[in-house]
Amino acid sequence: MCAIVAAVAVTSADARPVATPGVTADEIHLGSSVPLSGEAAIAGNVARGIEAYFKYVNDKGGVLGRKITFTYLDDGYDPGRAVNNTIRLIQQEQVLAVFSSLGTSNNLAVRKLLNDAKVPQLYVSSGATTFGRDYKKYPWTIGYIPPYSEEGELYGRYVVKNIKKPKIAVLYQNDDYGRDLLGGLKRGLGSKAKSIVASVGYDPTSADVQPQVTQLKASKANVLMVFAFGKFSLQAFNAVSRLGWKPQIFVNDVSSASALMAIVPQNAANGSISIVFGKDPASPLWRNDKGVRLFQSILRKYGSSVNSRDLKDGYFTAGMATAYTMVDTLKRAGKTLTRQSVMNAATHLNEKGNPFVLPGIVLHTTPSSRFPLTQVRLQRWSGNAWHPFGKLISAKPG
Amino acid sequence: MRSKLWPELAGFAALALVVAALPRFISDFRARELAIVGMYFIALLGLSILTGYSGQISLGNGAFMAIGGYTTAVLSVNGVYGHQIRDLWTIPIAGVIAGVAGLLVGVPALRLSGVYLALITFGIAVSFPQLPKKFDHFLGGTTGKILNLAKPPFGLATTTNNWMYYLTWGIALVLLGVAWWLVRGKTGRALKAIRDSEVAAASSGVSLATYKTFAFGISAFYAGVAGSLYAIANAYVNPDVFPIILSVYLVVGLAVGGVDSLVGLIFGAGLIYFLQNHADTVAGWINHLPALSLDPKQPGIPSMIFGAVLIVVMLLLPTGVGGLVRRLFGSLTSRLYTRS
Amino acid sequence: MVLAAFTWTEFAQQLAAGIREGAIYAGLALAIVIIYRSTRVINFAQGEMATFTTFIAWSLMNHGLSFWTAFPIVLAIAFAGGVAIERVVIRPVEGAPVVTVVIVTLGLALLLNGLMSVIWGGANRQFHGPFSTRTIDVAGVPISVQDIGIVAVSVGLVGLLALFFRFTKLGLALRAAAVNPESSRLVGIRVGWMLALGWGIAAVLGAVAGMMIAPVVFLDPNMMQTILLYAFAAAVLGGLDSPIGAVVGGILLGVTITLLGRYVGFIGSTLKLPAALMLILVLLLVRPGGLFGRVAVRRV
Repeated sequence: MCAIVAAVAVTSADARPVATPGVTADEIHLGSSVPLSGEAAIAGNVARGIEAYFKYVNDKGGVLGRKITFTYLDDGYDPGRAVNNTIRLIQQEQVLAVFSSLGTSNNLAVRKLLNDAKVPQLYVSSGATTFGRDYKKYPWTIGYIPPYSEEGELYGRYVVKNIKKPKIAVLYQNDDYGRDLLGGLKRGLGSKAKSIVASVGYDPTSADVQPQVTQLKASKANVLMVFAFGKFSLQAFNAVSRLGWKPQIFVNDVSSASALMAIVPQNAANGSISIVFGKDPASPLWRNDKGVRLFQSILRKYGSSVNSRDLKDGYFTAGMATAYTMVDTLKRAGKTLTRQSVMNAATHLNEKGNPFVLPGIVLHTTPSSRFPLTQVRLQRWSGNAWHPFGKLISAKPG
Repeated sequence: MRSKLWPELAGFAALALVVAALPRFISDFRARELAIVGMYFIALLGLSILTGYSGQISLGNGAFMAIGGYTTAVLSVNGVYGHQIRDLWTIPIAGVIAGVAGLLVGVPALRLSGVYLALITFGIAVSFPQLPKKFDHFLGGTTGKILNLAKPPFGLATTTNNWMYYLTWGIALVLLGVAWWLVRGKTGRALKAIRDSEVAAASSGVSLATYKTFAFGISAFYAGVAGSLYAIANAYVNPDVFPIILSVYLVVGLAVGGVDSLVGLIFGAGLIYFLQNHADTVAGWINHLPALSLDPKQPGIPSMIFGAVLIVVMLLLPTGVGGLVRRLFGSLTSRLYTRS
Repeated sequence: MVLAAFTWTEFAQQLAAGIREGAIYAGLALAIVIIYRSTRVINFAQGEMATFTTFIAWSLMNHGLSFWTAFPIVLAIAFAGGVAIERVVIRPVEGAPVVTVVIVTLGLALLLNGLMSVIWGGANRQFHGPFSTRTIDVAGVPISVQDIGIVAVSVGLVGLLALFFRFTKLGLALRAAAVNPESSRLVGIRVGWMLALGWGIAAVLGAVAGMMIAPVVFLDPNMMQTILLYAFAAAVLGGLDSPIGAVVGGILLGVTITLLGRYVGFIGSTLKLPAALMLILVLLLVRPGGLFGRVAVRRV
């Protein structure tokens, strides 16, 4: 008997568990691929926000005794480079997980290879529904922000409930981003889908969307959906104002930052409706908010090459929100960190108190419901600021 | 010209040996990086025949790469009558289809000279990414097409990266041989004659149209093969995988490398890859200069580094690295093209 | 996509927008042509130079200056910048192969673009132009005052330049240096400085184009990228060595593409650039020098 026990003891001492890549006794290595050059470079600030937050967490002792090393690489919004970066992160940098990589097409490009290598693809920075929905085929993938499709649906339901005799014109970016929103809108309108009297797509290579808005105005609609990205949304407001058109405007969340809304003609902007789930550091609403104060103090102390403009940049805040969730996930995964335990933690989230999202939001996931952030509020723009109204509503698919 | 044969063959053999042996000494990921360099090299080979030899500037060969890449994607994903085609077999088909597109471009190109041709081909580079967006049912739009991950065939016991490396550089060496054979013979002499003086060439009976169009077709074929390999390596295509700037990078690689030097072309291919993907390394070098501390993560810094490097290199080496190498080493270098 | 029905009012508005777009293309195309005529270089950095000077204008206005106070300052800075670029960056590669010079201007474009991001950041900002955003009634059609102003300024500037080239000694010297540098030197023209002058003028044209369009499309480092592509198209359409061609080509292209994009469903927004390419290619096959240009034809 003693001999058997001794034999077992000897063999189990030799049978050390296979080391998990990206995890040592005192370090966790995470990776991401984001645009730092090219047209989408401002979105890359998400990664810089994450980097600052992790430095802050490390300063306070890290996660269960381990410091987080965060490697993020520039892909210039080119999926080929995103693939190259991701392979480099897995093979050369040996990261534990890839998280918050940016862009629908970039994440689509790397999804197969990450799942094939059984590396977690966490908190994808894209609102395409597939990242939360197709978990049966891609069990190592999980999304983060409310899907664009659900956002559109919320606008549709609002119109049905609150606007009599709606005649809807839609300006949308002619790719899945805009089409997801449009599709969701039609679903939300249900039997009233025929109230869409005109819809015009624009290509991101356009110089200006005034021709499209001019066309939409000619349809005599009284509601305008602006499913446009960044400068195109700004140009749309400009065109609406110049044409003397006064529809009820709905503007999609991605283009609703206070900094953007403040620079368009206010006669067009006033009364616009959007959704919100994050805290916009440029909004007067959160001027004295603890979460935003924390955000700014972290960015000031730990941000690299940041300036005063960045303290009001919502991309940085979005990064910190995701980083908070990532730290939360690592804590739940426990001291024995493996890729599987991280994935389990990510699909069993019940996160309250993320200081960078709206109060009351609970980030909740299950293995078959992989949309962490699904609660939003509606908000209306007036007097140079957004004013949320109503309670938290659900933007959860299905 | 005969006496130059042995040094060139020796150079070719040396290159082949280095290519074969290298993976043993480098990391797996490095092998993938060199595979991508190889794809740029193949595209540059084709471009050098077009620009260096027949003297036609093309700022649009990225579009031919895209044609090759999309051909592979469509054949692998949509298949033919529902029958998906194995990625390897799509490579020559992609090359041929791109080559035909090149011939089609080459015909109207005959009527355009110098700068106008450059700008029209640039227009092709700008316009092509719009096509997958328009015909998105077939070509995937911005969502793109997802291919099966590349895997070594016949159960070969090697990593995917090494497999892509050998596949790419194997094809590169074969295509290098083809290019060498082309420019050594009648075709090369005709193209050189055209580049040096179209009037003289035509007067001595060289059919301008045939050879100039042919040069376009060849360069497009090479680019198509490169694009096909790139699609296989990434297992994904969408318009952003072959952006407008790719055509520009190819010309950058050609100019910096030196239009008719083998060493230069390899260098040019390496430079294109390096400047895009190792901006932090370059920033590190630059930061050794006094009073400079660049953060490569700050938006805008990678572009500034790339732009500054291009300007400085072209000011210092107007004939590219190939020109420098030729000045330093004279006739000892293994040169692809002999200059009479 | 659900296209709205045709109305004459809307057509007039689209036409006006097309003319305004075309005026901007014309300004940039003219800059490209001036540089090409004098130095045989295609300046791929033209758009970024224009955006950069517009950012300088924005900074000045941010510090309290009014638009019309800042305007001449910015033009002076633009002129100096253009001259400096020609002397420092272009002159050293004057005799080099065409490809080399192309790469230099491309490097310059990348450098300027990155520099703008570093100095001012990538976020969109508002640019307060000199024209009010009111609309006035032109024969029953609401047209924006801003659009009229943009066209007026562009046309005025082009007119001034035309007078300059035609009727001043300096303008004559510039034209001579472009057409025949050797003979120009023989009569005492400082050809080198003429080339720099050409770049300076082109930079000024770009600055004006930038300041005209920024109030409409919002200012950011990438503002001019698509516009530059259309400007190249306009320059080729008109003939790369014809200033008149650049202007006519610009307006023609602006109107045609806007109307095609609106009324031909197949083209829509996605195929506007390819449509422009096709039009120009067809034209070049018929007239290899563009509408007004001249290309030497060798008959062999």
